[in-house]
Amino acid sequence: MTKVKKEEKYPVAKRFDIADIQVSREAQAVKPEVVARLIKRAKRPVLVTGGYLLKEPELVEFAARMYEKGIPIVATGGSSKPLIEKGVNPLVVSYTLHHFTQYMQDEEWQGFDGNGKYDLVLYLGFIPYLLSRMLSSLKHFAKVTTVSLDQFYQPHAKFSFTNLTRNKEMHYRMLDELINML
Amino acid sequence: MAINLRGSFVLDEVKNVRINIGKIVEEEMEWEEETGPTPKPGIMELRKWDRRLLERYEPFYAPMQDFCNLCTMGPCDLSGNKRGACGINLKNTKARLVTIACSIGSAAHTAHARHMLDHIIEEYGEDMPIDLGPDVNVEAPIIRTVIGIKPRTLGDLREALTWAEKEIVKVLHSTHIGNEEDILDYESKAMHVSMADHVGMEVADIAQIVAFNLPKADPDTALVDTGFGIVDKSKPVIVVVGHNVMYARPVADYLEEKGLSDKFELAGLCCTSHDMTRYNAKAKIFGPISYQLRVIRAGIPDVIISDEQCIRADLLSACEEMAIPLIATSDAAVRGLPNRNDDPVEDIIEDLISGKTPGVFLSEPEKIAEVVPKVAEAVFKKKQETEMFLTEDQLIEEVNKCTQCMNCVFTCPHSLRIDQGMESAQKGDFSKLASLEEVCIACRKCEQVCPKDIKILSVIMKTGLKGLLSKTGKTRVGRGPIQDTEIRKVGQPIVFGQIPGVIAAVGCTNYPDEMVDLRIILDEFLRRRYIVVTSGCHAMDIGMLKDEEGKTLYEKYPGNFDAGGLVNVGSCVANSHIAGATIKIANIFAMRPLRGNYAEIADYILNRVGAVGFSWGPYSHKAASIATGFNRLGVPVVVGPHGTKYRRAYIGKPWKKENWWVYDIKTGKKVYIEPAPDSLLLAVETKEEAIVQLAKLTIRPNDTGMGRQIKLTHYLELSKKYLGRYPDDWPIYVRSEADLPLRQKEELLKILEEEHGWKIDWNKKKILEGPIRPLDPGFNPTLVEEVYDKYSRKK
Ligand code: SF4
Ligand code: SF4
Repeated sequence: MTKVKKEEKYPVAKRFDIADIQVSREAQAVKPEVVARLIKRAKRPVLVTGGYLLKEPELVEFAARMYEKGIPIVATGGSSKPLIEKGVNPLVVSYTLHHFTQYMQDEEWQGFDGNGKYDLVLYLGFIPYLLSRMLSSLKHFAKVTTVSLDQFYQPHAKFSFTNLTRNKEMHYRMLDELINML
Repeated sequence: MAINLRGSFVLDEVKNVRINIGKIVEEEMEWEEETGPTPKPGIMELRKWDRRLLERYEPFYAPMQDFCNLCTMGPCDLSGNKRGACGINLKNTKARLVTIACSIGSAAHTAHARHMLDHIIEEYGEDMPIDLGPDVNVEAPIIRTVIGIKPRTLGDLREALTWAEKEIVKVLHSTHIGNEEDILDYESKAMHVSMADHVGMEVADIAQIVAFNLPKADPDTALVDTGFGIVDKSKPVIVVVGHNVMYARPVADYLEEKGLSDKFELAGLCCTSHDMTRYNAKAKIFGPISYQLRVIRAGIPDVIISDEQCIRADLLSACEEMAIPLIATSDAAVRGLPNRNDDPVEDIIEDLISGKTPGVFLSEPEKIAEVVPKVAEAVFKKKQETEMFLTEDQLIEEVNKCTQCMNCVFTCPHSLRIDQGMESAQKGDFSKLASLEEVCIACRKCEQVCPKDIKILSVIMKTGLKGLLSKTGKTRVGRGPIQDTEIRKVGQPIVFGQIPGVIAAVGCTNYPDEMVDLRIILDEFLRRRYIVVTSGCHAMDIGMLKDEEGKTLYEKYPGNFDAGGLVNVGSCVANSHIAGATIKIANIFAMRPLRGNYAEIADYILNRVGAVGFSWGPYSHKAASIATGFNRLGVPVVVGPHGTKYRRAYIGKPWKKENWWVYDIKTGKKVYIEPAPDSLLLAVETKEEAIVQLAKLTIRPNDTGMGRQIKLTHYLELSKKYLGRYPDDWPIYVRSEADLPLRQKEELLKILEEEHGWKIDWNKKKILEGPIRPLDPGFNPTLVEEVYDKYSRKK
């Protein structure tokens, strides 16, 4: 895949639902290289995958490649099945995004493997309104850095890809670029 | 035996003393059960039970807004859990909001019950006996447990209703500015008001069953036509919409009396249609709220009768657009219409037919009965035959206006790719647009933001018309309560775990994806011989989805409350029979006393009855209070992803050993247990995830070895089938080798040894070390000190 060129204009970061308005901060729309830097700097990054992986095989490919680059996967919403078929061994498969979000808000929780808190959580393949609520919860009640890699700009994340609903190709290219930088 | 000793007695010498003895004497004579600790509980009486639950199932909040603007000191930015001018923080505003939502839901059912009961008593008298058929002796399990009375007559139900009304007001009071500051107190109140909701529902449904002779626990009720394409359009079509059958019933009676039943079509939207079919199986079910605009825009009705709850707030304008006269009947939803109760019937009919008024408010049953058929007939005669939604030319014209600006996509609750559908259609391929019909909830939000004023909803429906019409099938009429005899039969297998669980599919239609997923989910459990119970919108939606053989689930599975049975209890208020069934298991099978004994019963259910609520598309406040009421009763609930917008969940943390304990009455010890169930309110994203979570949440601490083995077999199989491998947490549910699925026993023992460090005696194939606790056949768990004391003493 070709890189997203510098001069290529990123679409504006429009909320997936125009009514999902807050008074506090909105996510910073970021390019792949910023996400790559965040991942490199993180001590315990994790990728959470959602139900859209059951509908969009491309997302399975990208998640599997991130896994190959050493990012553990928390597979939710049934996304584990296609991932396992691709040779991925997810950290967990049967906890929901709701469980995970609740657990992350507990100061004492040391992660699914007991090795410590996750400091960077990347999200891929979620129903936008579901992810929005979970990100909102974390924004207010947890200290974790959240990054949405979905095609929908997620206002409650700390960082999010911009809105790419109009341009799926660009979404895929951005994911590709990110993975290549890891 | 009843003793006729009712009335008030004024003693001659003591003029100011009035003694009402009849009722008390009768109750005592008839009901030997001792009154438990909490008859007619106030806010404080069950707070301790709630805290037990809430300490384990910690509330989780997902704010929709980070501000509060409920008083004039605000608006306040509460982001990051800051406090507003009044001192409340973000979490607490969400807890308060949930309490308000549950209060609204509870008030809806309870006001419905009040209206119904008062009318019914007026018509039939307060002494009309509560008779729910020969197989139902425990007639009002919720009222018995919460209120502590055993209602014999319709008049007795008033006592329960008055209690519920009082508690709703008290809880609503607590949401005023400057009251609670602890989230657990708000959550306790949300649970309290939701328990009142269950009482209100039980009153409403018992009253209507008794007075209107609705089916009484009959597992084999009639199958009625369901779906968009059910009506014969060569007859005048009367459509009822809402949740209170009081107003539609006289119409059915009138048609019967006049011998006109076969000359008209009578069909309903939402729960009124359930209750219509329970009253008269000639009535038909169109579908849920998402079918309101579908049916109206298609121009099917010749007249619409609306009552209350979950009716679109643009009903009148939608009817006006299609020149369909509207008769609003409930004072909860007058819709700005003139009150015509005092006018002569002829005038009302004339004004509606001529279009002088688009609708009227009319709540007099006799007048409704007379006006409706006459208006329907006249409108029908005047009506020109038109194509549904749009003509072909209009469709193309609309589609061609689209510029793919995507305003609609960013407004649609499902972010449906209307732009792509339009683009394909412009090139001649309408299939993408047609497929949107499956997911569209017909909310019409898209149309309002379209700069080209495209009638998007009509475009979607027109292109998807074939699919829409094919969603036509049969619903088994709501049967009301579960028989005591059925409970007697399944009580033990449920408590011991041989029947792996009861899945209660209840609620609205804000589904995340195609409606058919609901059928797939329930079919999976029916095939595995769980008991599936259903009501409301879920119950009618599965009635319109057929399999390859053209059968709905109702035609595939029997209607009895037994393994592999699919039980439709009826409308929203009939949900009370689902809660009632869990209570009856504690009472009829385990002989636990109900009278004013809520915490003991809820504790019994939480620890022993593998029932799980499931609401795949919840949106209403009533769904919030129904679910929260189930939670207080010890029944976990799984909701679809839109359910996260209720903002609150109850999710336990399995690694916190200190949260997972019970008292074991047998050994007299506090025992640490496996986290079963691990959540009380949980959202899932996909049908795959729903299936696996539902299977897991049926696990209970009290399962026998055989029961746990069966439940784990399903949990493991389903996880493998839908998630690709065994669930991550299955080992925590293993107490001994007897819990392991037989076929995979060796494989699983190996995993326990190699991956979890458990010690196994391979000669005997026994687990020596590893589980949280051993399997103990006499295990007798409780979370309630008083229950522990009571039964330890008895020993
Ligand atoms: S009417 Fe259908 S397509 Fe339009 S916004 Fe509502 S759900 Fe989306
Ligand atoms: S808002 Fe209207 S013009 Fe814009 S994409 Fe949607 S249908 Fe087309």
